[in-house]
Amino acid sequence: MSTPAREMGKKDASFEREPARRVFASELRECRYQFKDGEDEKSPTFVLLPTGERCNRVFIVGTLTEKQRQGDQNMFYRGRVVDPTGTFFIMAGSYQPEAMQQLAKIETPAFVAVIGKPSLYRKDEASAPMISIRVESINVVDKETRDLWVLDTAERTLDRIEAFATGTGTDVVKAKEQYPTIDPVTFRKIAYDALAQIKI
Amino acid sequence: MIRSDAYVEMYEMDFSEAADRISRKFSKSGQTVDSKKIEGKLRRLIEEFGVQPSEAERSVTNELNKEFNIPAMGAGGSAGSGGAGSSGTAEKKIADAAPGEWVTIEGKIVALAAPASPAIAQGGVIADDSGAIRFVAWAKANAPAMAQGSWYRIESAVVDEFKGIASLKIHSGTTIKEIEEDRALMPSTVPIGELRPGIGSIRAKVVQEWDASHERMLQSGLLGDETGTIKFVIWKEPGKESLAPGSVYNIFYAQVDEYNGRLSLNLNSAMVMQEEGDIAVSGGEAALSGAIVHVAPGSGIIKRCPVEGCNRALSRQNYCPVHEIQPKFTYDLRIKGWLDDGEKTHSVLLQRDVVESLTGISLTAAQEIAENNPLGMDEVFLQMRDKVLGRYITCHGRDIENRVIVNKCEPVTFESEKHTALLNRAGGAS
Repeated sequence: MSTPAREMGKKDASFEREPARRVFASELRECRYQFKDGEDEKSPTFVLLPTGERCNRVFIVGTLTEKQRQGDQNMFYRGRVVDPTGTFFIMAGSYQPEAMQQLAKIETPAFVAVIGKPSLYRKDEASAPMISIRVESINVVDKETRDLWVLDTAERTLDRIEAFATGTGTDVVKAKEQYPTIDPVTFRKIAYDALAQIKI
Repeated sequence: MIRSDAYVEMYEMDFSEAADRISRKFSKSGQTVDSKKIEGKLRRLIEEFGVQPSEAERSVTNELNKEFNIPAMGAGGSAGSGGAGSSGTAEKKIADAAPGEWVTIEGKIVALAAPASPAIAQGGVIADDSGAIRFVAWAKANAPAMAQGSWYRIESAVVDEFKGIASLKIHSGTTIKEIEEDRALMPSTVPIGELRPGIGSIRAKVVQEWDASHERMLQSGLLGDETGTIKFVIWKEPGKESLAPGSVYNIFYAQVDEYNGRLSLNLNSAMVMQEEGDIAVSGGEAALSGAIVHVAPGSGIIKRCPVEGCNRALSRQNYCPVHEIQPKFTYDLRIKGWLDDGEKTHSVLLQRDVVESLTGISLTAAQEIAENNPLGMDEVFLQMRDKVLGRYITCHGRDIENRVIVNKCEPVTFESEKHTALLNRAGGAS
């Protein structure tokens, strides 16, 4: 008879999908710190952007310049997506069959939009950590979408730089600890250059 | 004598409480009474005269009523019933009646509803100039049937609460008397944003009409005003008429229900009057811009159950969860996905005409593909996904249970002013 309170509790705990952050290749490349939010096995993993924001998912648009099939038993595809500031490394394996088929189909070069999860890995113990994006979806888009992404990403980057300068949030504090040698203001110049590459 | 002492002890602590109750009752009507004096009177009646406490309270109250020239409560007829019910009953305006209280109210029956159970003799809405409340008369109460539009004095009813909604319970201890009143009640309407569960009156515009999801449902949709929107429903009943989409209505005494933290209006009990004019509906209509970052399975061309009022999506085997196999399905288009602005991801549902304009694939063309392509409906999904995934769009629609039902959308276009502004912002302080 009196269950509504319980049902309401269930509703409140509704699922929130992690947003796809907009980040230029030259900023994502600098990520060295990865963490889990929570103890649970299924807790999401984040990389920390140097501008002080956690990032579980990214949305990038650029030019797919190369793709490569690798592995026999565990086949997967690697690719390079270039934006005005640098290169993203993407990969899609048999755990992402749809993404892998999509990537396999695309002829390079092409403007592509990629939604995926960034993660840090090392080639071996001695080498520096690298970041690559495990593709959830990839699709061919047009140049206008690429230009819109540059505007979008420049805006989000500038927002983060401003929040970093004044901010005291946990992620900003963490970024200051983890990346003591990086001054986020350098990403302002990078954003400017990226914007300047768009010809009207 | 021993027995009497025990009796007194049992009620000892009640003197001040009862005295306070009485003095509160009178202070509400602007009189000041000395609760010490009342306590003394009660004590005397109970201790010296062995009067039952409830009767003592009643008798002191009546004495004071006479003193202040207030017509006695429950006077006349109810004297014979020993006055058991009248203790603690306060005369209230409907708006002030709080759950758990015994109240006496005067009001007009503004709606009657068919009883939902044989245990209920009558149900509906009673209103005065302060507000309105639902009422239920139990069959066991043997209460006289009340007529819509007439005024009644209801003594010693109980206000209780079910699912957060107050209602007035008329039981066997309640007395009901029709009274001579011929006032026209003009309920004050409230903004939709301020509606609370119970009974509410609004002035609103019909902004959306939805497909009926139940065969007993006459109409459902969305009403809106300047402060927000609310779902409404009208159940099939003789004399009920649908609302006209786009029209403005005064809606008096509608039932405001709450489910999962969301309010909805049941108009079956309400007085609905169409009126001239327009309302600039705001709030609920959201415009979201972002990139489509996921196109979910179940997007593309789908089959729907043809049973009137059902319209559910069928499985691949043409199976409706309610009406089973339906070989004479109808086709529809939709896209379910996630729209992401980099800060937040919104679940979006694009309806047929939106899908058609965004993908350039019409329902007819999609049906052609579904029936002739070796991949069938999957091919429609793939073609549509390739057209929207990763694209920037602006969606207009309403947020319903954490999903935006999109009724209009357009691609985001490159604005050179924005480009210039961002260049200035990025170059500004470097």
